[in-house]
Amino acid sequence: MKNVVLLSVAVAVLVFSGCSSKEPTVDGSAQAPVVSGESSTNNMVSESSDARIAAIQNKLSTIYFDFDKFNIRTDMQSNLSADASVIKTEASDLNIKLEGNCDEWGSDEYNFALGLKRATTVKDALIASGADASKVTMVSYGESNAVCTEKTKDCWAKNRRVDFKVLP
Amino acid sequence: MKIFFIWLFLISMSFAGDATIEVIKKVDTLPSLAVEDATVKYDNAIKMLFFKSLVADLNVISIFNVDGHYRNVDFGASNVVVENKDMKYVLRYRIFEDDSAAFNVEMKLLKDNSEVLSKSYKANKNEFYMFISHAIAFDINEYMGEPSVEWMKRKVVFSKNTTPKKTEIVISDYTLTYQHTIVAGGFNIFPKWANKEQTSLYYTSLDSKPTLKQLDIKTGQTKAIISSDGMMICSDVSVNSKKLLVTMAPNGQPDIYLYNVDSKKSTKVTNYSGIDVGGQFLDDNTVVFVSNRLGYPNIFSQKIDTGVVEQMIFYGKSNAACSVNGEYIVYKARESSDAFGNNTFNLHLISTKTDFIRRLTASGVNEFPRFSKDGDAILFIKNYMSQSSIGIIRLNHDKNYLFPLKQGKIQSMDW
Repeated sequence: MKNVVLLSVAVAVLVFSGCSSKEPTVDGSAQAPVVSGESSTNNMVSESSDARIAAIQNKLSTIYFDFDKFNIRTDMQSNLSADASVIKTEASDLNIKLEGNCDEWGSDEYNFALGLKRATTVKDALIASGADASKVTMVSYGESNAVCTEKTKDCWAKNRRVDFKVLP
Repeated sequence: MKIFFIWLFLISMSFAGDATIEVIKKVDTLPSLAVEDATVKYDNAIKMLFFKSLVADLNVISIFNVDGHYRNVDFGASNVVVENKDMKYVLRYRIFEDDSAAFNVEMKLLKDNSEVLSKSYKANKNEFYMFISHAIAFDINEYMGEPSVEWMKRKVVFSKNTTPKKTEIVISDYTLTYQHTIVAGGFNIFPKWANKEQTSLYYTSLDSKPTLKQLDIKTGQTKAIISSDGMMICSDVSVNSKKLLVTMAPNGQPDIYLYNVDSKKSTKVTNYSGIDVGGQFLDDNTVVFVSNRLGYPNIFSQKIDTGVVEQMIFYGKSNAACSVNGEYIVYKARESSDAFGNNTFNLHLISTKTDFIRRLTASGVNEFPRFSKDGDAILFIKNYMSQSSIGIIRLNHDKNYLFPLKQGKIQSMDW
Protein backbone atom coordinates (compact mmCIF):
# COMPACT_ATOMS: atom_id res chain seq x y z
CA MET A 1 0.00 0.00 0.00
CA LYS A 2 1.44 3.28 -1.00
CA ASN A 3 1.05 5.70 1.81
CA VAL A 4 1.79 9.02 0.29
CA VAL A 5 2.02 12.08 2.40
CA LEU A 6 2.79 15.15 0.40
CA LEU A 7 2.81 18.27 2.46
CA SER A 8 4.05 21.64 1.46
CA VAL A 9 5.86 23.28 4.26
CA ALA A 10 7.72 26.52 3.97
CA VAL A 11 11.20 26.14 5.36
CA ALA A 12 14.26 24.00 5.32
CA VAL A 13 16.14 26.02 2.80
CA LEU A 14 16.86 29.16 4.67
CA VAL A 15 19.24 31.70 3.34
CA PHE A 16 19.84 34.51 5.71
CA SER A 17 21.77 37.60 5.14
CA GLY A 18 22.29 40.56 7.34
CA CYS A 19 21.91 44.02 5.93
CA SER A 20 23.01 47.34 7.18
CA SER A 21 20.74 48.79 9.81
CA LYS A 22 18.97 51.15 7.43
CA GLU A 23 17.69 48.46 5.10
CA PRO A 24 15.08 45.80 5.74
CA THR A 25 16.34 42.25 5.51
CA VAL A 26 14.56 39.54 3.62
CA ASP A 27 14.92 35.88 4.25
CA GLY A 28 14.90 33.53 1.31
CA SER A 29 12.88 30.67 2.65
CA ALA A 30 11.80 28.26 -0.02
CA GLN A 31 9.25 25.53 -0.36
CA ALA A 32 10.53 22.22 0.89
CA PRO A 33 7.94 19.49 0.40
CA VAL A 34 7.91 16.36 2.50
CA VAL A 35 8.07 13.39 0.21
CA SER A 36 6.98 9.89 1.00
CA GLY A 37 9.91 7.55 1.11
CA GLU A 38 7.90 4.41 0.59
CA SER A 39 7.89 2.46 -2.62
CA SER A 40 4.75 0.77 -3.79
CA THR A 41 4.67 -3.02 -3.79
CA ASN A 42 2.28 -5.42 -5.38
CA ASN A 43 1.04 -7.97 -2.90
CA MET A 44 -1.14 -10.35 -4.94
CA VAL A 45 -0.86 -13.38 -2.74
CA SER A 46 -3.64 -15.72 -1.77
CA GLU A 47 -4.43 -16.55 1.83
CA SER A 48 -3.45 -20.19 1.41
CA SER A 49 -0.14 -19.14 -0.06
CA ASP A 50 0.36 -16.79 2.86
CA ALA A 51 -0.27 -19.60 5.32
CA ARG A 52 2.18 -21.90 3.56
CA ILE A 53 4.86 -19.19 3.46
CA ALA A 54 4.33 -18.46 7.15
CA ALA A 55 4.63 -22.16 7.99
CA ILE A 56 7.92 -22.47 6.09
CA GLN A 57 9.16 -19.21 7.58
CA ASN A 58 8.65 -20.62 11.08
CA LYS A 59 10.87 -23.59 10.27
CA LEU A 60 13.85 -21.43 9.35
CA SER A 61 16.26 -20.54 12.14
CA THR A 62 18.15 -17.28 12.40
CA ILE A 63 21.95 -17.59 12.08
CA TYR A 64 23.95 -15.63 14.67
CA PHE A 65 27.51 -14.28 14.36
CA ASP A 66 30.41 -13.18 16.52
CA PHE A 67 31.43 -9.54 16.93
CA ASP A 68 32.87 -8.07 13.69
CA LYS A 69 32.86 -11.54 12.05
CA PHE A 70 31.02 -12.98 9.09
CA ASN A 71 32.12 -16.61 9.20
CA ILE A 72 29.61 -19.29 10.29
CA ARG A 73 30.15 -20.26 13.93
CA THR A 74 30.43 -23.98 14.67
CA ASP A 75 27.35 -23.82 16.92
CA MET A 76 25.35 -22.42 13.98
CA GLN A 77 26.28 -25.19 11.51
CA SER A 78 23.39 -27.44 12.49
CA ASN A 79 20.87 -24.59 12.20
CA LEU A 80 22.20 -23.72 8.78
CA SER A 81 22.05 -27.34 7.61
CA ALA A 82 18.44 -27.56 8.75
CA ASP A 83 17.62 -24.29 7.02
CA ALA A 84 19.23 -25.49 3.79
CA SER A 85 17.21 -28.69 3.92
CA VAL A 86 13.92 -26.77 4.24
CA ILE A 87 14.87 -24.36 1.46
CA LYS A 88 15.82 -27.19 -0.94
CA THR A 89 12.65 -29.17 -0.34
CA GLU A 90 9.58 -27.39 0.99
CA ALA A 91 10.61 -23.93 -0.29
CA SER A 92 12.15 -25.00 -3.58
CA ASP A 93 9.53 -23.04 -5.59
CA LEU A 94 9.77 -19.96 -3.35
CA ASN A 95 12.23 -17.10 -3.14
CA ILE A 96 14.39 -16.52 -0.09
CA LYS A 97 15.63 -13.12 1.01
CA LEU A 98 18.59 -13.15 3.39
CA GLU A 99 18.63 -10.10 5.66
CA GLY A 100 22.01 -9.32 7.22
CA ASN A 101 22.03 -7.40 10.49
CA CYS A 102 24.59 -6.01 12.94
CA ASP A 103 24.86 -4.73 16.48
CA GLU A 104 25.24 -1.02 17.18
CA TRP A 105 29.02 -1.15 17.58
CA GLY A 106 29.99 -0.80 13.98
CA SER A 107 30.01 2.39 12.01
CA ASP A 108 27.45 3.36 9.41
CA GLU A 109 28.68 2.02 6.05
CA TYR A 110 31.01 -0.59 7.49
CA ASN A 111 28.13 -2.11 9.44
CA PHE A 112 26.02 -2.40 6.31
CA ALA A 113 28.85 -4.15 4.51
CA LEU A 114 29.36 -6.48 7.48
CA GLY A 115 25.66 -7.37 7.46
CA LEU A 116 25.88 -8.07 3.74
CA LYS A 117 28.97 -10.26 4.11
CA ARG A 118 27.08 -12.27 6.74
CA ALA A 119 24.21 -12.72 4.29
CA THR A 120 26.70 -13.68 1.56
CA THR A 121 28.28 -16.33 3.80
CA VAL A 122 24.87 -17.85 4.47
CA LYS A 123 23.97 -17.71 0.76
CA ASP A 124 27.22 -19.45 -0.19
CA ALA A 125 26.52 -22.17 2.36
CA LEU A 126 22.98 -22.67 1.04
CA ILE A 127 24.23 -22.94 -2.53
CA ALA A 128 26.93 -25.39 -1.46
CA SER A 129 24.13 -27.46 0.07
CA GLY A 130 22.26 -27.52 -3.22
CA ALA A 131 19.89 -24.53 -2.97
CA ASP A 132 18.97 -22.71 -6.18
CA ALA A 133 21.15 -19.58 -6.28
CA SER A 134 18.69 -17.75 -8.52
CA LYS A 135 16.04 -17.86 -5.79
CA VAL A 136 18.21 -16.39 -3.05
CA THR A 137 18.58 -12.60 -2.75
CA MET A 138 20.38 -10.58 -0.09
CA VAL A 139 20.08 -7.25 1.62
CA SER A 140 21.81 -5.64 4.58
CA TYR A 141 20.05 -3.53 7.18
CA GLY A 142 23.18 -2.73 9.19
CA GLU A 143 22.17 -1.80 12.73
CA SER A 144 18.81 -0.38 11.58
CA ASN A 145 16.79 -3.54 12.22
CA ALA A 146 17.60 -4.36 15.83
CA VAL A 147 15.43 -6.97 17.56
CA CYS A 148 16.85 -6.00 20.94
CA THR A 149 17.65 -2.46 22.06
CA GLU A 150 19.05 -2.95 25.56
CA LYS A 151 22.67 -2.04 26.21
CA THR A 152 23.84 -5.55 27.10
CA LYS A 153 26.17 -8.09 25.51
CA ASP A 154 23.34 -10.63 25.23
CA CYS A 155 21.21 -8.07 23.45
CA TRP A 156 23.93 -7.06 21.01
CA ALA A 157 24.56 -10.75 20.25
CA LYS A 158 20.90 -11.13 19.20
CA ASN A 159 21.32 -8.36 16.65
CA ARG A 160 24.36 -9.89 14.91
CA ARG A 161 22.33 -12.18 12.69
CA VAL A 162 20.99 -13.22 9.30
CA ASP A 163 17.21 -13.63 9.07
CA PHE A 164 15.41 -15.63 6.38
CA LYS A 165 12.39 -14.10 4.67
CA VAL A 166 10.33 -16.43 2.51
CA LEU A 167 8.78 -14.68 -0.49
CA PRO A 168 6.36 -15.89 -3.15
CA MET B 1 72.07 34.25 18.23
CA LYS B 2 71.10 35.08 14.65
CA ILE B 3 71.27 31.39 13.75
CA PHE B 4 69.10 30.54 16.75
CA PHE B 5 66.36 32.94 15.60
CA ILE B 6 66.58 31.66 12.05
CA TRP B 7 66.05 28.12 13.33
CA LEU B 8 63.19 29.27 15.54
CA PHE B 9 61.59 30.95 12.56
CA LEU B 10 61.99 27.90 10.33
CA ILE B 11 60.57 25.55 12.97
CA SER B 12 57.58 27.80 13.62
CA MET B 13 56.95 28.13 9.87
CA SER B 14 57.10 24.37 9.40
CA PHE B 15 54.25 23.95 11.91
CA ALA B 16 52.23 26.94 10.83
CA GLY B 17 48.71 25.99 9.86
CA ASP B 18 49.13 22.30 10.68
CA ALA B 19 45.81 21.26 12.23
CA THR B 20 47.35 18.15 13.78
CA ILE B 21 49.38 20.38 16.09
CA GLU B 22 47.33 20.94 19.21
CA VAL B 23 46.97 24.42 20.62
CA ILE B 24 47.94 23.71 24.22
CA LYS B 25 47.09 27.06 25.74
CA LYS B 26 45.87 30.37 24.52
CA VAL B 27 46.63 32.71 27.39
CA ASP B 28 43.63 34.91 28.16
CA THR B 29 44.07 36.88 25.00
CA LEU B 30 40.49 36.65 23.77
CA PRO B 31 38.50 39.87 24.16
CA SER B 32 35.48 39.75 26.45
CA LEU B 33 31.97 40.01 25.05
CA ALA B 34 28.61 40.30 26.83
CA VAL B 35 25.11 40.04 25.38
CA GLU B 36 22.31 42.47 26.23
CA ASP B 37 18.67 41.83 25.38
CA ALA B 38 16.73 45.02 24.59
CA THR B 39 13.50 43.29 23.56
CA VAL B 40 10.47 45.21 24.76
CA LYS B 41 7.72 42.65 24.26
CA TYR B 42 7.99 39.15 22.84
CA ASP B 43 7.21 35.54 23.79
CA ASN B 44 9.40 34.87 26.81
CA ALA B 45 10.25 31.28 25.88
CA ILE B 46 11.47 32.27 22.40
CA LYS B 47 13.37 35.19 23.90
CA MET B 48 15.35 32.90 26.17
CA LEU B 49 15.91 30.28 23.46
CA PHE B 50 17.27 32.98 21.17
CA PHE B 51 19.56 34.34 23.90
CA LYS B 52 20.97 30.87 24.65
CA SER B 53 21.44 30.14 20.96
CA LEU B 54 23.24 33.44 20.47
CA VAL B 55 25.59 32.84 23.40
CA ALA B 56 26.32 29.33 22.11
CA ASP B 57 27.05 30.59 18.57
CA LEU B 58 29.30 33.35 19.90
CA ASN B 59 31.19 30.72 21.89
CA VAL B 60 31.52 28.49 18.84
CA ILE B 61 33.18 31.19 16.75
CA SER B 62 35.88 31.01 19.45
CA ILE B 63 37.14 34.57 19.22
CA PHE B 64 35.62 35.97 22.45
CA ASN B 65 35.41 35.16 26.11
CA VAL B 66 31.62 35.22 26.15
CA ASP B 67 29.79 36.22 29.31
CA GLY B 68 26.65 34.08 29.56
CA HIS B 69 24.69 36.29 31.97
CA TYR B 70 21.32 37.48 30.74
CA ARG B 71 20.96 41.27 31.01
CA ASN B 72 18.14 43.61 29.99
CA VAL B 73 18.68 47.11 28.68
CA ASP B 74 17.01 49.77 26.56
CA PHE B 75 18.11 49.45 22.91
CA GLY B 76 18.93 53.13 22.68
CA ALA B 77 20.71 53.36 26.03
CA SER B 78 23.89 55.37 25.72
CA ASN B 79 25.81 53.11 28.10
CA VAL B 80 26.08 49.37 28.52
CA VAL B 81 24.58 47.93 31.72
CA VAL B 82 26.78 48.48 34.72
CA GLU B 83 27.72 44.80 35.02
CA ASN B 84 29.14 44.96 31.48
CA LYS B 85 31.15 48.15 31.86
CA ASP B 86 34.45 46.26 31.80
CA MET B 87 33.57 44.24 28.71
CA LYS B 88 35.52 44.98 25.55
CA TYR B 89 32.52 44.18 23.37
CA VAL B 90 28.79 44.18 24.04
CA LEU B 91 26.26 42.74 21.63
CA ARG B 92 22.88 44.41 22.10
CA TYR B 93 19.79 43.22 20.26
CA ARG B 94 16.04 43.49 20.27
CA ILE B 95 13.43 41.10 18.91
CA PHE B 96 10.20 42.46 17.52
CA GLU B 97 7.24 41.32 15.46
CA ASP B 98 6.05 43.18 12.37
CA ASP B 99 2.62 43.24 10.69
CA SER B 100 3.27 39.88 9.03
CA ALA B 101 4.17 38.31 12.40
CA ALA B 102 7.72 37.76 11.17
CA PHE B 103 10.61 37.33 13.57
CA ASN B 104 12.76 40.47 13.37
CA VAL B 105 16.00 41.12 15.13
CA GLU B 106 17.93 44.36 15.22
CA MET B 107 21.42 44.24 16.65
CA LYS B 108 24.40 46.44 17.29
CA LEU B 109 27.88 45.61 18.41
CA LEU B 110 29.47 48.03 20.86
CA LYS B 111 33.21 48.24 21.36
CA ASP B 112 34.30 50.21 24.41
CA ASN B 113 30.75 51.56 24.54
CA SER B 114 30.81 52.79 20.93
CA GLU B 115 28.75 51.27 18.12
CA VAL B 116 30.95 49.55 15.54
CA LEU B 117 28.45 47.32 13.70
CA SER B 118 24.69 47.23 13.27
CA LYS B 119 22.45 44.93 11.25
CA SER B 120 18.87 43.79 10.92
CA TYR B 121 17.56 40.28 10.35
CA LYS B 122 14.20 38.79 9.55
CA ALA B 123 12.70 35.31 9.42
CA ASN B 124 9.11 34.61 8.48
CA LYS B 125 8.48 32.50 11.62
CA ASN B 126 9.97 32.61 15.08
CA GLU B 127 10.71 28.86 14.92
CA PHE B 128 13.66 29.85 12.69
CA TYR B 129 15.24 31.91 15.46
CA MET B 130 18.43 29.81 15.46
CA PHE B 131 19.24 30.71 11.85
CA ILE B 132 19.27 34.38 12.80
CA SER B 133 21.44 33.60 15.79
CA HIS B 134 23.90 31.78 13.47
CA ALA B 135 23.80 34.70 11.02
CA ILE B 136 24.61 37.25 13.74
CA ALA B 137 27.59 35.19 14.94
CA PHE B 138 28.72 34.80 11.32
CA ASP B 139 28.53 38.56 10.70
CA ILE B 140 30.37 39.45 13.90
CA ASN B 141 33.09 36.95 12.97
CA GLU B 142 33.34 38.63 9.55
CA TYR B 143 33.50 42.07 11.15
CA MET B 144 36.33 40.92 13.42
CA GLY B 145 38.27 39.90 10.32
CA GLU B 146 38.54 36.24 11.32
CA PRO B 147 38.63 33.36 8.81
CA SER B 148 35.12 32.73 7.54
CA VAL B 149 32.77 30.43 9.46
CA GLU B 150 30.67 29.80 6.36
CA TRP B 151 29.96 26.30 7.69
CA MET B 152 27.78 27.89 10.36
CA LYS B 153 25.23 28.68 7.66
CA ARG B 154 25.36 25.26 6.02
CA LYS B 155 22.62 22.74 6.57
CA VAL B 156 23.04 19.27 8.00
CA VAL B 157 21.11 16.34 6.57
CA PHE B 158 20.71 13.17 8.59
CA SER B 159 18.65 10.00 8.71
CA LYS B 160 17.25 8.62 11.94
CA ASN B 161 15.59 5.36 12.80
CA THR B 162 12.00 5.69 13.90
CA THR B 163 11.21 1.97 14.15
CA PRO B 164 13.11 -1.06 12.81
CA LYS B 165 13.45 -0.69 9.02
CA LYS B 166 11.74 2.72 9.12
CA THR B 167 13.61 5.98 8.92
CA GLU B 168 13.19 9.68 8.34
CA ILE B 169 15.55 12.01 6.52
CA VAL B 170 15.81 15.38 8.23
CA ILE B 171 17.37 18.71 7.29
CA SER B 172 18.64 20.88 10.12
CA ASP B 173 20.93 23.71 11.10
CA TYR B 174 24.43 22.82 12.30
CA THR B 175 23.31 22.47 15.93
CA LEU B 176 20.37 20.19 14.93
CA THR B 177 18.09 22.59 16.83
CA TYR B 178 15.86 23.28 13.86
CA GLN B 179 14.67 20.09 12.19
CA HIS B 180 12.56 19.62 9.10
CA THR B 181 11.66 16.09 7.98
CA ILE B 182 12.04 15.96 4.24
CA VAL B 183 11.58 12.24 3.55
CA ALA B 184 9.04 10.49 5.75
CA GLY B 185 8.02 6.85 5.73
CA GLY B 186 9.90 3.95 4.21
CA PHE B 187 13.46 2.81 4.77
CA ASN B 188 15.75 5.54 3.44
CA ILE B 189 19.29 5.94 4.66
CA PHE B 190 22.71 7.51 4.02
CA PRO B 191 21.64 10.99 2.86
CA LYS B 192 24.41 12.91 1.12
CA TRP B 193 24.38 16.46 -0.23
CA ALA B 194 24.52 16.29 -4.03
CA ASN B 195 26.04 19.75 -4.55
CA LYS B 196 27.75 22.49 -2.63
CA GLU B 197 24.63 24.67 -2.89
CA GLN B 198 22.74 22.02 -0.88
CA THR B 199 19.72 22.14 -3.16
CA SER B 200 19.68 18.43 -3.84
CA LEU B 201 20.64 15.26 -1.99
CA TYR B 202 21.25 11.59 -2.62
CA TYR B 203 19.95 8.84 -0.40
CA THR B 204 19.62 5.07 -0.43
CA SER B 205 16.15 3.54 -0.59
CA LEU B 206 15.95 0.03 0.87
CA ASP B 207 12.22 -0.55 0.37
CA SER B 208 13.01 -2.90 -2.50
CA LYS B 209 16.33 -3.45 -4.31
CA PRO B 210 18.91 -1.05 -2.81
CA THR B 211 18.59 2.07 -4.98
CA LEU B 212 20.37 5.40 -4.95
CA LYS B 213 17.86 8.21 -5.37
CA GLN B 214 18.29 11.93 -5.87
CA LEU B 215 15.89 14.40 -4.29
CA ASP B 216 15.49 18.04 -5.29
CA ILE B 217 14.62 19.59 -1.95
CA LYS B 218 12.86 22.58 -3.47
CA THR B 219 10.51 20.70 -5.76
CA GLY B 220 10.33 17.37 -3.96
CA GLN B 221 11.09 15.58 -7.24
CA THR B 222 12.85 12.24 -6.74
CA LYS B 223 14.61 10.19 -9.39
CA ALA B 224 16.36 6.82 -9.24
CA ILE B 225 20.07 7.02 -10.09
CA ILE B 226 21.49 3.49 -9.84
CA SER B 227 20.67 0.20 -8.13
CA SER B 228 22.72 -2.73 -6.88
CA ASP B 229 21.98 -6.02 -5.19
CA GLY B 230 22.87 -6.12 -1.53
CA MET B 231 24.17 -2.61 -1.02
CA MET B 232 24.09 0.82 -2.67
CA ILE B 233 25.45 3.84 -0.83
CA CYS B 234 26.74 7.20 -2.01
CA SER B 235 29.81 7.89 0.13
CA ASP B 236 31.17 11.08 -1.43
CA VAL B 237 30.44 13.66 -4.10
CA SER B 238 33.26 15.36 -6.02
CA VAL B 239 33.72 19.12 -5.64
CA ASN B 240 32.14 19.75 -9.05
CA SER B 241 29.27 17.30 -8.28
CA LYS B 242 30.08 15.31 -11.42
CA LYS B 243 31.51 12.17 -9.83
CA LEU B 244 30.29 10.02 -6.98
CA LEU B 245 32.07 7.42 -4.92
CA VAL B 246 29.53 4.70 -4.23
CA THR B 247 29.65 1.38 -2.45
CA MET B 248 27.91 -1.33 -4.44
CA ALA B 249 27.76 -5.05 -3.92
CA PRO B 250 26.84 -6.97 -7.05
CA ASN B 251 27.12 -10.66 -6.10
CA GLY B 252 27.21 -9.73 -2.43
CA GLN B 253 30.72 -8.29 -2.57
CA PRO B 254 30.95 -4.71 -1.28
CA ASP B 255 33.44 -2.63 -3.26
CA ILE B 256 33.91 1.03 -4.11
CA TYR B 257 32.93 2.32 -7.54
CA LEU B 258 33.38 5.66 -9.27
CA TYR B 259 30.09 6.81 -10.81
CA ASN B 260 30.02 9.46 -13.53
CA VAL B 261 26.87 11.57 -13.16
CA ASP B 262 26.81 12.66 -16.83
CA SER B 263 27.58 9.35 -18.55
CA LYS B 264 25.77 7.30 -15.86
CA LYS B 265 28.64 4.79 -16.05
CA SER B 266 30.31 3.26 -13.01
CA THR B 267 33.90 2.01 -12.76
CA LYS B 268 35.12 -0.41 -10.10
CA VAL B 269 37.85 1.17 -7.95
CA THR B 270 38.64 -1.36 -5.20
CA ASN B 271 38.84 -5.12 -5.64
CA TYR B 272 39.13 -7.06 -2.41
CA SER B 273 37.24 -10.15 -1.26
CA GLY B 274 36.47 -8.66 2.16
CA ILE B 275 34.90 -5.29 2.93
CA ASP B 276 35.75 -2.03 1.17
CA VAL B 277 33.38 0.85 1.95
CA GLY B 278 33.13 4.57 2.62
CA GLY B 279 35.18 5.92 -0.29
CA GLN B 280 36.08 9.60 -0.16
CA PHE B 281 38.04 11.77 -2.55
CA LEU B 282 41.46 12.77 -1.21
CA ASP B 283 42.23 14.26 -4.63
CA ASP B 284 41.11 13.60 -8.21
CA ASN B 285 43.13 10.39 -8.38
CA THR B 286 43.13 9.16 -4.77
CA VAL B 287 40.34 7.55 -2.78
CA VAL B 288 40.44 7.10 1.00
CA PHE B 289 38.27 4.25 2.23
CA VAL B 290 37.56 1.78 5.06
CA SER B 291 38.64 -1.82 4.56
CA ASN B 292 39.04 -4.93 6.69
CA ARG B 293 41.95 -6.23 4.57
CA LEU B 294 44.15 -6.46 7.71
CA GLY B 295 41.48 -8.44 9.58
CA TYR B 296 39.91 -5.40 11.24
CA PRO B 297 38.45 -2.16 9.88
CA ASN B 298 41.08 0.44 9.08
CA ILE B 299 41.64 3.41 6.76
CA PHE B 300 43.47 2.98 3.44
CA SER B 301 43.99 4.98 0.29
CA GLN B 302 44.10 3.81 -3.32
CA LYS B 303 45.23 5.51 -6.51
CA ILE B 304 42.42 5.28 -9.04
CA ASP B 305 44.73 4.94 -12.06
CA THR B 306 47.36 2.52 -10.73
CA GLY B 307 45.37 0.72 -8.03
CA VAL B 308 48.23 1.15 -5.52
CA VAL B 309 46.89 0.75 -1.97
CA GLU B 310 48.44 2.40 1.08
CA GLN B 311 47.57 2.03 4.77
CA MET B 312 46.80 5.50 6.14
CA ILE B 313 46.24 4.86 9.87
CA PHE B 314 48.54 2.99 12.26
CA TYR B 315 46.77 3.72 15.53
CA GLY B 316 43.47 2.27 16.81
CA LYS B 317 42.05 -1.24 17.02
CA SER B 318 39.02 -0.66 14.87
CA ASN B 319 38.90 2.41 12.63
CA ALA B 320 35.62 2.09 10.79
CA ALA B 321 34.70 5.65 9.82
CA CYS B 322 36.51 8.71 8.55
CA SER B 323 36.08 12.08 6.87
CA VAL B 324 38.58 13.65 4.50
CA ASN B 325 39.39 17.27 3.79
CA GLY B 326 42.46 18.23 1.81
CA GLU B 327 45.47 16.58 3.44
CA TYR B 328 43.58 15.82 6.67
CA ILE B 329 41.72 12.70 7.73
CA VAL B 330 39.60 12.55 10.88
CA TYR B 331 38.74 9.01 11.92
CA LYS B 332 36.87 7.13 14.61
CA ALA B 333 39.04 4.67 16.54
CA ARG B 334 38.23 2.03 19.12
CA GLU B 335 41.04 2.33 21.62
CA SER B 336 40.35 -0.31 24.26
CA SER B 337 40.75 -4.02 23.67
CA ASP B 338 37.29 -4.66 25.11
CA ALA B 339 35.01 -4.58 22.11
CA PHE B 340 32.01 -3.54 24.17
CA GLY B 341 33.56 -1.49 26.95
CA ASN B 342 32.64 2.05 27.82
CA ASN B 343 34.70 5.01 26.70
CA THR B 344 36.04 3.24 23.68
CA PHE B 345 35.52 5.31 20.55
CA ASN B 346 37.42 8.56 20.04
CA LEU B 347 38.11 10.81 17.08
CA HIS B 348 41.64 11.39 15.86
CA LEU B 349 43.12 13.67 13.23
CA ILE B 350 46.05 12.92 10.96
CA SER B 351 47.74 14.75 8.14
CA THR B 352 48.79 12.77 5.07
CA LYS B 353 51.93 14.91 5.01
CA THR B 354 53.18 14.39 8.57
CA ASP B 355 53.31 11.59 11.16
CA PHE B 356 51.41 13.48 13.83
CA ILE B 357 48.17 12.14 15.33
CA ARG B 358 45.93 14.51 17.25
CA ARG B 359 43.31 13.05 19.56
CA LEU B 360 40.20 15.20 19.29
CA THR B 361 37.85 13.66 21.87
CA ALA B 362 38.46 12.11 25.27
CA SER B 363 35.33 10.34 26.46
CA GLY B 364 32.26 8.48 25.29
CA VAL B 365 31.42 7.04 21.90
CA ASN B 366 32.23 9.65 19.26
CA GLU B 367 31.08 8.92 15.75
CA PHE B 368 29.98 10.27 12.34
CA PRO B 369 32.88 12.75 12.00
CA ARG B 370 32.23 15.18 9.15
CA PHE B 371 34.59 17.94 8.05
CA SER B 372 33.21 21.33 7.10
CA LYS B 373 33.86 22.14 3.43
CA ASP B 374 36.67 24.51 4.39
CA GLY B 375 38.19 22.06 6.88
CA ASP B 376 37.92 24.55 9.74
CA ALA B 377 35.46 22.53 11.80
CA ILE B 378 34.40 18.94 12.41
CA LEU B 379 30.86 17.96 13.25
CA PHE B 380 30.29 14.69 15.13
CA ILE B 381 27.86 12.82 17.37
CA LYS B 382 28.86 12.09 20.94
CA ASN B 383 27.16 9.45 23.08
CA TYR B 384 28.14 9.64 26.73
CA MET B 385 26.34 8.61 29.93
CA SER B 386 23.06 7.89 28.10
CA GLN B 387 23.10 11.36 26.51
CA SER B 388 23.63 12.02 22.80
CA SER B 389 24.94 15.38 21.65
CA ILE B 390 26.08 16.93 18.45
CA GLY B 391 29.60 18.20 18.81
CA ILE B 392 31.60 20.73 16.87
CA ILE B 393 35.38 20.83 16.99
CA ARG B 394 37.18 24.06 16.07
CA LEU B 395 40.52 22.67 14.99
CA ASN B 396 42.44 25.93 14.89
CA HIS B 397 41.07 27.04 18.26
CA ASP B 398 41.34 23.67 20.03
CA LYS B 399 37.78 23.91 21.31
CA ASN B 400 34.91 21.42 21.37
CA TYR B 401 31.27 22.40 21.83
CA LEU B 402 28.34 20.08 22.50
CA PHE B 403 24.64 20.60 21.85
CA PRO B 404 22.42 17.97 23.55
CA LEU B 405 20.10 16.04 21.24
CA LYS B 406 16.56 14.94 21.88
CA GLN B 407 15.81 12.62 18.98
CA GLY B 408 16.53 8.92 18.62
CA LYS B 409 19.49 7.20 17.08
CA ILE B 410 21.06 8.89 14.09
CA GLN B 411 21.79 6.47 11.25
CA SER B 412 23.97 8.69 9.07
CA MET B 413 24.78 12.38 8.68
CA ASP B 414 26.23 14.78 6.11
CA TRP B 415 27.16 18.45 6.36
